[in-house]
Amino acid sequence: MRALHTLGAVAVLAGLGPFGCAQNTMYRWGGYDEALYDHYKNPQKRDEYVAKLSGIIQAAEEHGGLVPPGCYAEYGWALYEEGRIADAVVYFEKESKRWPESRTLMEKLIRNAARAKAPAAAPAAVPASTVEEAKK
Amino acid sequence: MKRILVLAALAAACAQPPKKDYSKLISSNPRAILVVPVVNKSVDVDAADYFLSTLSVPLAERGYYVFPVNLVKRMLEDEGMADASLVHGSDPTRLCTLFGADAVLYVTIEQWTARYMILSTQVTVEFDYVLKDGRTGEELWKDHQTGVYASQSGGQGLAGAIAAAIVAKAAPNYMPMAREANARALAYPGPGFPAGPYRPEYRKDLPPPAAPESPAAAKPAAPRAPGAPQAPAAPQ
Repeated sequence: MRALHTLGAVAVLAGLGPFGCAQNTMYRWGGYDEALYDHYKNPQKRDEYVAKLSGIIQAAEEHGGLVPPGCYAEYGWALYEEGRIADAVVYFEKESKRWPESRTLMEKLIRNAARAKAPAAAPAAVPASTVEEAKK
Repeated sequence: MKRILVLAALAAACAQPPKKDYSKLISSNPRAILVVPVVNKSVDVDAADYFLSTLSVPLAERGYYVFPVNLVKRMLEDEGMADASLVHGSDPTRLCTLFGADAVLYVTIEQWTARYMILSTQVTVEFDYVLKDGRTGEELWKDHQTGVYASQSGGQGLAGAIAAAIVAKAAPNYMPMAREANARALAYPGPGFPAGPYRPEYRKDLPPPAAPESPAAAKPAAPRAPGAPQAPAAPQ
């Protein structure tokens, strides 16, 4: 039994992996993977996911700016889905500026956003829930 | 939950990994990796999305730019590619042009199962990872990981053991195994990637070049500059 216990402890430690501890990582992930996992597990709690993304960005910016790659873009996309086109573009631009590798994709998203914005005079006035429902 | 003892038989971790040929990956020298939705061969329908959520962190921590996986998934769905096997079957060079990526990582879940025994639950995961070049479509790297994970009662007698098994049965947790498999697949030196451009040891941790097997294998590629103009994006 003692041997089992020891093995168990080792496995638990190994399970934490190199990402169990924030100091060992290059970026401030702030639970990005858990947020995405929870989003896939409970898609109806979308607001929580979006709030978490926003929180990760805010915390990382406040602590030396180690915002992980993809975070600005993912948050921008969430805003875009809510019809907050102008806000979305701000984050697509941040991603593009911070990560030059993302430029092709971000420019494409910004162009799409400009097109989405053009026909309706005030897309931001559309409540987020309406846009979400329209997509279903 | 605390009382569940975790026993991991990390078969793959103990075995000495075979020497990998890194020549193609090194000469391709990708900076930006597109992780496409995961193909799921298991019976657990949610496994693909769950596993997708575990890939960005370890890859980015290896020093590569990783495209936002959820955004990529949604965009592909909008393009009519909601089925991951359709994405995996499509031309990697087209995918890379669409997103401006240097390489595509394809992951397949071969197994993601829970076996319920009377006093414990045994979870088995098995994944295939393949990285392909965005310009040539060539395979740059691949790996395969298996993990077995058994939860067991710890010293609470039969009643405790049954309670623990019931908890595990209600919600077998695959995620620690998924993270562990990724960590093993990407560990370097080992089966994983050499450091990417965002790590300080970038290009300093490469294995000594092996004698090229054929002249074609040693063909060098021009290094990619950060933010170098990619192929022009086609308007959708």
